[in-house]
Amino acid sequence: MTTKYRRVSGDAVEYEVFARKTRVEPLHQVGSVVAPDDDLAMAYARATYDEERWCEMAIVRKDNVISLWAPGEA
Amino acid sequence: MSLSDLVLSIADNKQMLGLRYAEWATRAPSLEADIAAAAMGLDDLGHSRVLYGCLEALGADPRGPERETDPASIRSLPYFDQPWTEWAHFVAANAVLDTAFTVMIEACVGGSVEVLQHRMRKMLMEERYHFLHGRSWLKSGIDAAPLNRAWQEAIEWFGPPDGETAEFHKEGRLSMGPAELRQRLEERLEARAPHAEIDWKAWDPVRRRGRRGAIDEHTFGMLRGLEEKRFAPAATTKST
Repeated sequence: MTTKYRRVSGDAVEYEVFARKTRVEPLHQVGSVVAPDDDLAMAYARATYDEERWCEMAIVRKDNVISLWAPGEA
Repeated sequence: MSLSDLVLSIADNKQMLGLRYAEWATRAPSLEADIAAAAMGLDDLGHSRVLYGCLEALGADPRGPERETDPASIRSLPYFDQPWTEWAHFVAANAVLDTAFTVMIEACVGGSVEVLQHRMRKMLMEERYHFLHGRSWLKSGIDAAPLNRAWQEAIEWFGPPDGETAEFHKEGRLSMGPAELRQRLEERLEARAPHAEIDWKAWDPVRRRGRRGAIDEHTFGMLRGLEEKRFAPAATTKST
């Protein structure tokens, strides 16, 4: 019944989720979500990681992150 | 009908929406969608609690003893009478009906009644994520039948052009009347409501619906705590 929805597999991209509890601390990565678009990624991030009282939350498409080097390459 | 009747209708519908969302917390198309269904269900159940708490402050609580025995006394839309069997039912409710309730809450927050202005404002922040979820899934395309049904029930729920919702708007207690509510819903969903003939003579102003019927017995039993009693140890049942 639900497997016909292609967008959750083929079209989906990964988003990293960042948050912080206070203004004085930097944003840090709290996890990731997989979604086909930014709107759904926001809804999923909020639903999945809302158990803490974050003062800020942001998401970034993982494929927009430019890697300088990876573990073992430094 | 009083403003309390309208608030009770929002509360009952949000309670049923929350329960129906929660039923999909392990059946949605992805793990993320499961979690979102559970989270949105909790949000809407929480909102219904806040709204029930407003009734007393509005000066009249329309809830009577019939709510303990009669499923038809729950003022929810026909869309919630039975559990949803398809994901498309979830998406149409999430996109259209949840947003219709939010638009009505906007009208309450923008109106002149202080208790509603204060207690309902926070709901709008949480509803933003319900809207993003519903709109995104809606864009993926769903069957027309549940979508058209959700639209029709949303327009019916806003009420007739000359009904009490329009009167509340004239008095300033709501910032929008039926026509403005419909327009706002269409703007938010970037879509026009499909054409539908509404027989306002058959419309029930208390339950804000055109179709007879009631929520299923299992859900009504759960609402009344009967399901919990059924699973309670015998000794506990006897002592209560």
